[in-house]
Amino acid sequence: MKFLFNQIQRNSFIILLSGLATFLAGCEDVIQVDVVNKSPKIVVDAFVNNTLDTQTIKLTRSIGYFDSTGSEPAITQAQVAVVDQSTSFPKLFVFNHTANGKYQFLPNPVTGDTFSIGHDYALLVVIGSDTLVSFSTLNPTTTIDSLRLVDVEGNGPPINTTGKYVELMAKDRKGPGDFYWVKTFRNDSFLNNISQLNISADMGNTSRGQDGDLFIYPVRYNGVNDFSRSFKSGETVRIEIHSINAIAFAWFNLVVSENQNGGLFATPPANIFTNVVSFNPNKKTAIGGFFCMSAVTAASVTIP
Amino acid sequence: MQRIISFLFFIITIGLLSAQNVTISGYIKDSTTRETIGKAQIVVTPVKTTTIPSDTKVSPDFRASTNGYGFYSITIPQGKYTIQIIAPSYPPFAQTITAKANEEINFLLIPEVEGVGTVIIRSKRNNNVKSLDISTQSINGQTIKKIPAFLGEADVIKSIQLLPGVTTVGEGASGFNVRGGSIDQNLVLMDEAPVFNSAHLFGFFSIFNPDAVKDVELVKGGIPANYGGRLSSTLDVKSRDGNKRAFQANGGIGTIFSRLTLEGPLAKPESKKLLKPRSTPAKSSFMISGRRSYIDVLAKPFLPDNLAGSQFYFYDLTAKANYSYKRDNIFISTYIGDDVFKAAGLFGVKWGNSTVTTRWNHVFNKRLFSNFTYYYSRYRYNLEFTNRDVTFNWKSNIVNNSAKVDFNYFYNPKNTIAFGAQSTHYRFIPGEAVAKSATLNLKFGLPDRYALENAIYISNDWNANGKFSIRAGIRVSQFMYMGPGKVYLFNREPGKQGILDSMYSTEKGQIVANYINPEPRLGFKYQLNNNSSIKGGYNRMVQNLHLISNTAASVPFDVWQPTTNNIKPEIADQIALGYFKNFNGKHEFETSIEGYYKTLQNQVDYIDGASLLLNELLEADLLTGIGRAYGIEAYVKKSSGNLTGWVSYTLSRSERQVVGINDGNWYANRFDRLHNLYVVSQYKLNNKWEFAANFVFSTGTPATFYTGQYTVQGYVVPDAGSNARNNVRNPDYHRLDLSVTYTRKKTKKFESNWVISCYNVYNRRNPFSIYFATNFQNKGQNEAIRYSVIGAAIPSISYNFKF
Repeated sequence: MKFLFNQIQRNSFIILLSGLATFLAGCEDVIQVDVVNKSPKIVVDAFVNNTLDTQTIKLTRSIGYFDSTGSEPAITQAQVAVVDQSTSFPKLFVFNHTANGKYQFLPNPVTGDTFSIGHDYALLVVIGSDTLVSFSTLNPTTTIDSLRLVDVEGNGPPINTTGKYVELMAKDRKGPGDFYWVKTFRNDSFLNNISQLNISADMGNTSRGQDGDLFIYPVRYNGVNDFSRSFKSGETVRIEIHSINAIAFAWFNLVVSENQNGGLFATPPANIFTNVVSFNPNKKTAIGGFFCMSAVTAASVTIP
Repeated sequence: MQRIISFLFFIITIGLLSAQNVTISGYIKDSTTRETIGKAQIVVTPVKTTTIPSDTKVSPDFRASTNGYGFYSITIPQGKYTIQIIAPSYPPFAQTITAKANEEINFLLIPEVEGVGTVIIRSKRNNNVKSLDISTQSINGQTIKKIPAFLGEADVIKSIQLLPGVTTVGEGASGFNVRGGSIDQNLVLMDEAPVFNSAHLFGFFSIFNPDAVKDVELVKGGIPANYGGRLSSTLDVKSRDGNKRAFQANGGIGTIFSRLTLEGPLAKPESKKLLKPRSTPAKSSFMISGRRSYIDVLAKPFLPDNLAGSQFYFYDLTAKANYSYKRDNIFISTYIGDDVFKAAGLFGVKWGNSTVTTRWNHVFNKRLFSNFTYYYSRYRYNLEFTNRDVTFNWKSNIVNNSAKVDFNYFYNPKNTIAFGAQSTHYRFIPGEAVAKSATLNLKFGLPDRYALENAIYISNDWNANGKFSIRAGIRVSQFMYMGPGKVYLFNREPGKQGILDSMYSTEKGQIVANYINPEPRLGFKYQLNNNSSIKGGYNRMVQNLHLISNTAASVPFDVWQPTTNNIKPEIADQIALGYFKNFNGKHEFETSIEGYYKTLQNQVDYIDGASLLLNELLEADLLTGIGRAYGIEAYVKKSSGNLTGWVSYTLSRSERQVVGINDGNWYANRFDRLHNLYVVSQYKLNNKWEFAANFVFSTGTPATFYTGQYTVQGYVVPDAGSNARNNVRNPDYHRLDLSVTYTRKKTKKFESNWVISCYNVYNRRNPFSIYFATNFQNKGQNEAIRYSVIGAAIPSISYNFKF
């Protein structure tokens, strides 16, 4: 709700002032600004889950703000491992470099090389003289009852297009302190627009104390659809609910707010924290990124 | 601290030794309207035959000035004297009197009439050099109206922004910054009642209607003990009393809004014996003044279709009535104003202030003047928006009720004592929201907060020997944060978000936190000669109300918070030193140069990513730090001749240090501007034509820019690197405004003029902000976008009348 308020407040202002600015001949133009990315950060992108899919951890360096994304230099000479700290002997899962800074591991249920719910994990990364470490618990996720299809007539914002949309019928786990990242895939392509980043604390917002029931409307409906494109017949929709934790929830929230922190009422840009720390106390290596272990539940539906 | 206080008490009480004297007291008023004249100087010079006992001799002459209500009192040895009265916009007045016994004398000053002969606007005749006030600037209604204004509308705050030491973040920003302070650190008073947002239309206009304003005083340093509650400055706006002799109307029709003021006597004149009742003032008078914008009507053709049903206006109403009877004057004044913006079916916002002030002046005796004030002041905003079938309504308020009493005791020629007390009750409604639809009625929001603020003060102006004067005072303020409400206790690590430890509910009246702060004030003047003086001042100010805002510019939705158990009172200490010199030749010039240094404690800042709206645990997201601001202000004013105006230049810095921000290093405040040059000029060609020009130059404000970026899970994470807060400067701000006034030939009953003006003549695109966005055509490519609220020259025309 808070977030929604922020959003609407900002949007109202932009509409308001642009109305006013039209009158005052206010204008926007693109200008050249020289900014220097003085010391690139080591970036750790480590979201690992308990499925049997190939797990990937990506290591790169940050680039200048006006550079094109995708051009991040890969870190290829690192050693990467995830350690299960909840087993009687710490169990090591080694991630090997494949290409472009991607370090991968394929779980194997036969040998028992899988990630388990409730276990505590540590991430270890060695890059030259830097040893990076981070910790995460693999929290349980919830279950999905069904994906319900709804016919909606699009009549202006936010729903612009008439057609079929999907509603995620799933309940938050009983008891406070559950955090989720809901990912929607349309024909196997992840809807990764920042405005569709769909996270939930319990049913949607812990401060309201809502727990143990259906996710609130913005999570189970608004967050899983792209209202400019309804689902067409034959398309498949898959929704995954990844368990995350309070820190990851806060981190995602910051990513959203920094990405949408523009316009007139922008707050000062802030650096987003990371949960990856360097073991080397003498060398101040700047690090960005996040390590999170997740349990995944999924459901899919094909549009008739 | 204790030593300072005992020293102050010594100064306050020293020299309260009296001699056998007589007291002359009374009011100074305008002869045409019978409105009182505040801050007029009274210079009493003994004629040659009068000898002054050496113990009462203060200088070649005795001096006094009227207080804010036009009352003066001066105690002098018996004898014959020449009394001169000097007030801005009035020609010098002189009269010889014989002081034998205590006497009440009311003086009437004839206002300078424009267009009659070759009358020149006189300066205050060394008032700036001789008064004890330092870092103080006053502007009266007439001056405000002469400055070329945005869209031709004279404006109080816009005029203030042309004074040395005053800056603004830019067009579209509410409020103003004084000597490196933030906008909430200015105490803005409308007839004694504080106003919490002085902006209409995002700061393009201020809420003060110049037609209703008598005078405006800005105190930036050496702040006297009768003012308190804000760190940086006091802007004291006094409304006009209304003409006591005749009915009068004046108004104007402008591009943005129109205004009308009506005023006149309320009761019949006192004396029936007089043949011409119009010449005798009434015991009471009224003034009512209103403005309403019609930007919504004008903007309609420019609005996109989906905003066609929009409401887009503001209005304000200022009204005042007064009644005088013998030794008593009663004033009731009120201000109501709102800004309303509504886009049909989408959202609506509304914000505004309202104040009511009642005052009772009573003259106990010839030397003791008192004023009792009660005021009510409220600032509120409402936000409403519709998302499909759900309507959200959200409101926030700050309400305060205050009673205060002020005394001026004109003890003897060397000592004038001011003392008083004030008590204010605050109610804060930080956010109340309702979500409604056919099936839903959800109420949520934050608990209200209550506080009680008390203050007592005493101050003495001591004229030691004619050359050296001291104003020493102390204010003791107490702030009690109290129930009913919820109290939150946090575990805190420096620079980090607080973690809720526990919370509890409080009963009505239960005191949660109590802060008592002594605030010493000191000012001195050393008169070098008749035309020059050195003045200095020290003040400690304490602030217990905090405007919570972390956007680039302040917006009407920022929330006021009291000092609590978690938020400590803000404290500022300032020293100021200045040299004042006037040149009184054929052309009169006032000049001054002042330096100041200010330190600030408990400045409120925010953790990265703080959420300030409807956040119950807001206090966890606040950080506190220290600040410093320093600068030099130079000012030259020409107040006689056909060409008048001023040049002001300020060199200043305003910085802050907060654990948890900018790696703990000092960084420039959002409103820091190194160079500020303001040129304000008016040229009177003849009685018909008058020209005016303003030029403004300010160093660009600092801003924080992202320098890097990276990708995690397909999401771009922008990054500002280390030491990043306010790491880049926006381009410099500069602008030229011109205006021409054509005054039509006056008839006995009707006066009018046309004002044609142009704002931002040479089309400068001053950035309000520079922000970043991803270019959607070229995904993954970021660009910097300059947003200028005013991107072109803005011409305007307005018509003003008076009858």
